[in-house]
Amino acid sequence: MGNLRHIEGFGLDESSVLTDDFLRQLISVGEVDLLVGVPTHNSAKTVGETLQGIRVGLLKYFPRERAVILNPDGGSKDSTREVVAAASINDLQRSSDMYALRTLPCISTVYGGSPATEVALRTVLAAAELLRAKACAIVSPEATNITPDWIERLLRPVYRDNFDLVTPVYRRHKFDGLLLRNLIYPMTRALYGKRVREPYAVEFAFSERFGSHLSEMQVWDHAAGGVGTEMRMTIAAMAGGFRLYQTFLGTKPHLDRSSADLVAAMRQTVGTLFWSLEPNLQYWSINRETESVPTCGAEHDLTTEPVRVNRKRLYQQFGSGVGELEPVLRSILSAPTLAEVQGIAKVAEDDFRYPHELWVKTAYEFASSYHKSVINRDHIIQALAPLYRGKVYTFLLENRDASGEEVEANVEALCLTFERLKPYLLDRWNARE
Amino acid sequence: MTLGQDGLWYKDAIIYQVHVRTFRDGSGDGIGDFRGLAEKLDYLQELGITALWLMPFFPSPLRDDGYDIADYRSVHPSYGTLDDFKNFLVAAHERGIRVIVEMVLNHTSDQHPWFQESRSSRDNPRRDWYVWSDTDSLYRGVRIIFLDTETSNWARDPVSKSYYWHRFFSHQPDLNYDNPAVREEMWSVMQFWLEIGVDGFRLDAVPYLVEREGTSCENLPETHVVLKQLRSKLDQNFTGRMLLAEANQWPADLRPYFGDGDEFHMAFHFPLMPRMFMGLKLEDRKPIMDILQQTPAIPDPCQWCLFLRNHDELTLEMVTDMERDYMYDTYAGDKAMRVNLGIRRRLAPLLDNDRRRVELMNGMLMSLPGTPIIYYGDEIGMGDNIHLGDRNGVRTPMQWDGGWNAGFSSADPESLYSPLILNPVYGYPAVNVDAQKRSGHSLLAWMKRIISARKSTQVFGRGSIEFLHPANHRVLAYVRQLKAEAVLVVNNLSSSAQAVELDLRRYKGNILVEMFGRNIFPRIGDLPYLLTMGPYQFFWFRLRRI
Repeated sequence: MGNLRHIEGFGLDESSVLTDDFLRQLISVGEVDLLVGVPTHNSAKTVGETLQGIRVGLLKYFPRERAVILNPDGGSKDSTREVVAAASINDLQRSSDMYALRTLPCISTVYGGSPATEVALRTVLAAAELLRAKACAIVSPEATNITPDWIERLLRPVYRDNFDLVTPVYRRHKFDGLLLRNLIYPMTRALYGKRVREPYAVEFAFSERFGSHLSEMQVWDHAAGGVGTEMRMTIAAMAGGFRLYQTFLGTKPHLDRSSADLVAAMRQTVGTLFWSLEPNLQYWSINRETESVPTCGAEHDLTTEPVRVNRKRLYQQFGSGVGELEPVLRSILSAPTLAEVQGIAKVAEDDFRYPHELWVKTAYEFASSYHKSVINRDHIIQALAPLYRGKVYTFLLENRDASGEEVEANVEALCLTFERLKPYLLDRWNARE
Repeated sequence: MTLGQDGLWYKDAIIYQVHVRTFRDGSGDGIGDFRGLAEKLDYLQELGITALWLMPFFPSPLRDDGYDIADYRSVHPSYGTLDDFKNFLVAAHERGIRVIVEMVLNHTSDQHPWFQESRSSRDNPRRDWYVWSDTDSLYRGVRIIFLDTETSNWARDPVSKSYYWHRFFSHQPDLNYDNPAVREEMWSVMQFWLEIGVDGFRLDAVPYLVEREGTSCENLPETHVVLKQLRSKLDQNFTGRMLLAEANQWPADLRPYFGDGDEFHMAFHFPLMPRMFMGLKLEDRKPIMDILQQTPAIPDPCQWCLFLRNHDELTLEMVTDMERDYMYDTYAGDKAMRVNLGIRRRLAPLLDNDRRRVELMNGMLMSLPGTPIIYYGDEIGMGDNIHLGDRNGVRTPMQWDGGWNAGFSSADPESLYSPLILNPVYGYPAVNVDAQKRSGHSLLAWMKRIISARKSTQVFGRGSIEFLHPANHRVLAYVRQLKAEAVLVVNNLSSSAQAVELDLRRYKGNILVEMFGRNIFPRIGDLPYLLTMGPYQFFWFRLRRI
């Protein structure tokens, strides 16, 4: 779902998700054991391959279970919906590659407005509730690297072992997922006490129980307007005491992101993480040991083949950002922290480092400023971007020749710093200024 | 009442399958017989059936429930005499009930005089009546049917010190149909019974008549030649008689047994039956649709024979491994319920004694294209005894009443050919004809009603079928049509209530008349026709343009 643009300021009631046509399709499907959601928007090029992987996975690993593939579509102009409809297995359409014991319906619905992750997920949740699905999985339509065992790895922990939320673990290049490893994972882990490696996942699975919880809770009324749905969901599971599980899904394809993508990604992840601190204060403000999450397969699997990275640009963006945003940063950061940041901004590129402790203090101070809305919250998120680039520069430099284990040790050190300094966040959170 | 003259009577028939031994003991020796069966013809007439299929009643050592015949022209003494049979036949015909008898063409008992002669010496004139070999290496790779008991299709005969071919038990040597004398003799046997007046034969195990090296020894062209010759002789000498093929094969392999309408009149549709059970358990019409879509068209005079249960195990030969595993897990959790490649259980226990499911399965049996066969006792929901050996658990005495020996026999219980069912759920005090006759809501009463509804029109026996494909895959719907008459059948395979929209635009303007209550339903218009159905409910609607 990460490929879908968000829309701002929408309000949905059930009737806008459950159109008459969609309801008729659901009536025809009836009660199911398993539901796989594939949200799309102009995904015709890739969704066929993804659906094929899902179909084979369902037929191979869950041949007896009642299953449905559900496609909430954000108004595709290409042939996405036709491709989806053709993936059904019934008495008119057969599976050419595997024998199907029972019907496997593929149904599709177009939701109103612009394509939005949140509406798609709400559609899946509404359908899952009506169909009484015991386990649901969400798979990105771009997951053309899907193998049938993904379906088993996502759904089995929920369907057979009573876990509530299954998040993925991917094999990544050591320089992929940098926002995740330098901020999202360590901070989420420190605050919510669960070592969920991919709290912002595009492939995941959840239980009927957790789905009902999501439907009922007010996470959908996020002031930012529907961004970071997956992140909010993971946080809701952690804070709600639901049973978490991680499952290895193989190599994560690397997607090149532009600078603009970074801010958008930060809105969805960092913005959501900061936003979540208010409703969950009672939970995260208690000091607790972090817990590992049961995982199928490797918890971290890094590849280290050489890649070209333009570190210099990151250094420049950090320096110029600290300079240009000085008034903004002054309203967000404490004086000592700002001074330290400004101090390292003067260091020559070869000697430049953004130390863990300074970075953690930076992140925590941004979070507390977000809470206090010292300035427009979106501006706070945008202001973090250049500082994050400085941290990324440091990460790339320090891990230039590092092995996977060494990179992991570095990330672990950062995590421990986030955990150690958690009281600092509370102090800032409660401070009057 | 007399028999009609319609040569296609078998298309409209409701066949009742019974073993003489199991139905009613008229002599008081603990074994059912023809006198007893004749006593119960009024019951069968009242039930509404129009034909009886009798399992083998010929002299036999009974090592395979009579399918090991030792004399083709007589009656096993336990069941009476040939005169008893003739009397029974006349009585049945007087009640409008035709009689189909079993004819085991493929093999005899090893106690049959023909085999005794054949084995006696290599020079005996009947030596070539069976398939002999000096080695057991011929026809290698041909499948063994009774896997639980046999390890080879060859058995060494200690008398003639050579091997004889047997596709079934080793005490059932296969006849050699390459020998013209055998073919002539078997026609002579059939002629014997046709002249007495039987209305048809169920020809047992027909795919296996001829053997050829390098083949599966099943469904060979030479076998079809033999069968066509028999049919030709039948048509030349007897009118209105019928041949029914027992060939447990895939529909495409079965199709040649109809020839061009010049081989069998009817054949069992074996693969459909397990898929009906599968569809019901899966709550999904797909398995049923899959097999029906694979079923080829057959010549006009021909007909499929449909059944839910019979004297054998619920055979799972004609299913995939995945389907077989599913059927075992869902219908035969206790391994004692399994035998060979199948499940040895009756209809009611298979369906957890759920009246709704029993009715739905019978509703499909009566409305899908073909002639339905009811296995004795299933009309009252009799149970089984999986602790009896082989398939004897589904061959226990008919339960007539709650009294002595269930009304089956006046003999001492110890002398009955089989123990009665005694458990609290299916035992004869709880499940018997007498008790069910007293209630208008019993399964027996319901079976009479559905048989009557089926017989009220020829559309089920002779009509075409058009499947509807509603999006709700839990609903199996089709229209049966014969000339201007059309019946819409809608089956809810689900354990929960369902809504279904049917595309009936082709029948726009018709009103629906429900065939049991005769209530009318709204007229068909341009919109999808919406029906709501209770769990396992089914409807038969006449489409009437009024």
